Amino acid sequence: MMSLTRRFLPANSRKRSYAVLVLLIAYALLLVLPAFAQQDVGDTEYRPFPKIGSRNAAWIAAQLHLLFGSFILGVPMFAVVIEFVGMRTKDLRYDRMAQEFIKLCMAAFSTTALLGGVLVFVLMWCYPKVMNKMTGIFGPTMIFYVFLFFGETFTLYLYSYAWDKMQNRKGWHLFLGVLLNIFGTAIMFVSNSWLTYQTSPSGIDEETGNFIGTTWEAVNNFTWMPINIHRFIGNIAFGGSIVAAYAAFRFLVATSREDREHYDWMGYTGNFIALCGLIPLPFAGYWLGREIYQFNQTMGINMMGSLFSWLFIIQAVMIGVLFIGANYYLWSGMGRIEGAEKYARYRPYMAAIIAVCVAIWMTPRSLIATPQEVAAMGGRYHPLVGLFGLMTAKNTVVNLIILTTFLSFLFYRRLGKTPIVGWAKIGNIAIAIIFGFAVIAIVSIGVAGFRVVTDFRINTLTPIQVFIALFVMISVTIIDLIMYRRAMVSGTINWGKMTDRSQYVLILLAITFTSLMGLMGYARSGLRENWHIFGVMPDTSPDSFTPRLSDAVNIIAVIMVIFFALVGFIFWIGLLGEKKEGNRSTH
Amino acid sequence: MKTLIRIICLVLMIVSFIAYIARASAFPIASANLLPWSLWFFLFAFANILLWQRVMKLLSFSLLVIWFYAFTASIVPETSTAKLDLSSIERTPDAFVEAGEAIFKGKGKCLTCHTLDPSAPKGRCPDLTGIGTRAATRKPGMTAKEYFIESAYEPEKFLVPGYGKIMPPVWKAPISLSNLEIETVIAFLQSQGGEVDLTPFEPPVDTGSAAVGVEVLPPILTGDPDRGKNVFVNGAKCVACHNVAGLEKPIDQTLDEGVEVVAAPELTDIAALNSLRYIEESILKPNAEIVSGYGSASVRVGGAAVQGTLVSQDSEQMVLRIKAPDGSETERTILFSELEPEPIEELVNLKEKGYFWVQATPADATAPISGELVEEDEESITLKVGDETQTISKSDVKVQVTVTTFDDDEPIVGELVSETDDEVILNVDGAERTIDQFDVDTMESSRAFGKRLAVTSPMPSNFPQLLSVADMNDLLAFLTTLTGEAAGETAAAAEGAEAAEPVPAE
Repeated sequence: MMSLTRRFLPANSRKRSYAVLVLLIAYALLLVLPAFAQQDVGDTEYRPFPKIGSRNAAWIAAQLHLLFGSFILGVPMFAVVIEFVGMRTKDLRYDRMAQEFIKLCMAAFSTTALLGGVLVFVLMWCYPKVMNKMTGIFGPTMIFYVFLFFGETFTLYLYSYAWDKMQNRKGWHLFLGVLLNIFGTAIMFVSNSWLTYQTSPSGIDEETGNFIGTTWEAVNNFTWMPINIHRFIGNIAFGGSIVAAYAAFRFLVATSREDREHYDWMGYTGNFIALCGLIPLPFAGYWLGREIYQFNQTMGINMMGSLFSWLFIIQAVMIGVLFIGANYYLWSGMGRIEGAEKYARYRPYMAAIIAVCVAIWMTPRSLIATPQEVAAMGGRYHPLVGLFGLMTAKNTVVNLIILTTFLSFLFYRRLGKTPIVGWAKIGNIAIAIIFGFAVIAIVSIGVAGFRVVTDFRINTLTPIQVFIALFVMISVTIIDLIMYRRAMVSGTINWGKMTDRSQYVLILLAITFTSLMGLMGYARSGLRENWHIFGVMPDTSPDSFTPRLSDAVNIIAVIMVIFFALVGFIFWIGLLGEKKEGNRSTH
Repeated sequence: MKTLIRIICLVLMIVSFIAYIARASAFPIASANLLPWSLWFFLFAFANILLWQRVMKLLSFSLLVIWFYAFTASIVPETSTAKLDLSSIERTPDAFVEAGEAIFKGKGKCLTCHTLDPSAPKGRCPDLTGIGTRAATRKPGMTAKEYFIESAYEPEKFLVPGYGKIMPPVWKAPISLSNLEIETVIAFLQSQGGEVDLTPFEPPVDTGSAAVGVEVLPPILTGDPDRGKNVFVNGAKCVACHNVAGLEKPIDQTLDEGVEVVAAPELTDIAALNSLRYIEESILKPNAEIVSGYGSASVRVGGAAVQGTLVSQDSEQMVLRIKAPDGSETERTILFSELEPEPIEELVNLKEKGYFWVQATPADATAPISGELVEEDEESITLKVGDETQTISKSDVKVQVTVTTFDDDEPIVGELVSETDDEVILNVDGAERTIDQFDVDTMESSRAFGKRLAVTSPMPSNFPQLLSVADMNDLLAFLTTLTGEAAGETAAAAEGAEAAEPVPAE
């Protein structure tokens, strides 16, 4: 391994990587330590964390670790795909962009490990008994985690530092990338088992409350796989959005035309990746919600109909911002392509559709109202607005938003190209008919949803709506690809010709993604209320309650500030390194 | 100069952001309502976006977005599950009612399902307006406070007609109220039209057990709903009695001999109103919980047994729907005072058996004591006699014996004095009478007499024997899909995106 490292790494990188490696080994040892220290806890249940309290300390450390972790797990996924595209198309730009993504990942990797170490320290110090209990159940997985962590570290270092050296062995390099993703995903799955066990424990003896199951039973608990899938997709979306924000930042501070062109393209790609992750994310969230409800009905009602009900309205606001922002960015991008006027006239209509749909999505089921207002409305639910609060209306508008976003992308894709196939007109008519029928069908099903039994709506109508949307996206993409395969280039893409405003939108999207993750992390963890392990190990500390939404969002805001400050610092360090290398090569 | 203004604006923006997040008190020159920190921050952030370029502009913009989400989430209604410090609470009605109201609307999250507004549309659980007076009439033989205690600790024991088994025991996770917190909530509910009684009570269940909070369910429902539907219609023939919207009863329904088609609860929305555990229990142990209006009751009135479906009951009377041999149905109101006492052989689990009135003679008494059965434990029973309560030891009551002999047609009734292998000695009207065991034809002993209302489920209890494990899984999988239109809110909650019932702000 050492000879391999020596062979591929430049001398300065080697020094840096050794230092980081020592740090990572220290973290790994730290992580596994609790498994060997179970007897030393004694009767100490809690130790207070100075000033900010134990819960806030653990919250901040965990959320920051999670955000960085999401980034370093999400980025390699699409970096490998982009590298593969570069290899197939022999377009070096893709290869360079994938390498740049991995450089960002490298910069964030050691910070992730460092924050993981901080989190373990905080948990060991503040919650010794909880950690004792958890390590007693999950000890073997923690040792497995350490092995995976080493695997992740070595493959990431090899994958990154050997990039240039392995240009002639792309197949092997891609294999390293795939291996890196396997390690990364496995790490996430293992650590997800710990936190999901706290929410939905399994293998418990009902009489004594003791854990009597196997480690696998504890791992394979009720919410484990839904969280795994949700986070897997979420990491891609989050990674894409952070990369896009980084590109936006570099675009805004760029002084040369080349830089602006490059980072404009990078921002576009990052946003495209984020959108690809964002679209299936609601379906994964839906599955997770159902599983929580199945595990414990009261927990499900608390989530959607009680304690966290307004949180999901805030979630709708954020997702609305994500879709509006992503569409706005695409529409702004039309300005950099010649001949965009043809499609620009549709933008106000698409904007109106998305705005109305988001407004419906954000409508609560019932509104807080005085008795007089209730009387004026003619009931607890407003006769018209109340209908928008129902799930059938929300499902309908979500599908319409997705289709409108897809249409935006379709227009964007077509810009600067003129199809030369003879059936182009018929193809366009076919696409218009598919869209038209799909919208009519989705809306009709949505209206019918008000009149059928819920069971039928959930199990039949809603999936039909989803399949219609998917059918449109797949069939139209196929028609469009064939139609524009040998299209005539009628206008060039002027990369770099983007407004600053559009770059701010990319930053807005990244902050919104991050805030959304923080908010949903609060919901997932808060569902346990006053239990460390739901129903098994009560929280008897002064923090044994779920904080109010307004308190939680303030903590999340603090986390956001720290996260973006750290990200900014890491990127700035990377920028300094680039300048130094640039100066050296100039001299 | 311009740089100085920029720096001042930047510093003020950061300060106002920190002040907002830290919930600092108002700016010195104005009240918090007039010029809150949120407004200051917004103004300075906006100014910074205009004044700065590049990095600082980006920083200001980023802070503004972070603040926007924090601010938006802080202005919506919210509830708190924070614990009230009850360690020094005064044991006065006012203090308990006040604390109870805070817990009712906060940590207890009772308003998620209940309402306190008679004009509100029907919620998941009953409206509690005036429950302080109504509670005493909910269950015969139960005071308002006893009813509240049972509802909090064992809500499944009594379901208000028209509502499903949805309320969780509030001492269990995730609500997890302490006994003292439950006491305050009960005080608050009593104050809804009734009198607050702060007499301490013992919880009817062991709330200290480690594992009682967790509801362990099978990890995954492995059954197939389609096959389960077939079991429902053709296998177990549940559809013969239960109605499910969209499922037609087969015309050529053939039932096993002895199985009668009876009125049974509508199951269209069973999964929306009840937990999986309840549905499973209803199949395996149909008598464990009987839906109001569907229980089969058997009582003795006027020397004859009367059997029918219990339609309703209050503290004084019950209404039975009785089916005549010709199939016609009539409703009959029976006063509890009309019921005839039955001999009770063993004084064990009287409440579970449905006894609500008991007559027994303590060993040191000459006359029997009778009254409402208030409480029962392993060693004694407590009766409400007039305005007082009397506790009788179960092992210290006179045993009434009825003996028939081969010689006499008339049975001999008396108190048991002693019994050996050779003879039985009874005290009959003050005089001892010895009966040779050789002459005894039958001998029935009773330690007390009681009136009871025994309600059983008409549903066959042999499904566990009839159904295979696979069929059972399939049937359960099918039943969990029945969420029904009426239960739209509950089912929609499972879909993961609808905020069904926002809780009003405190």
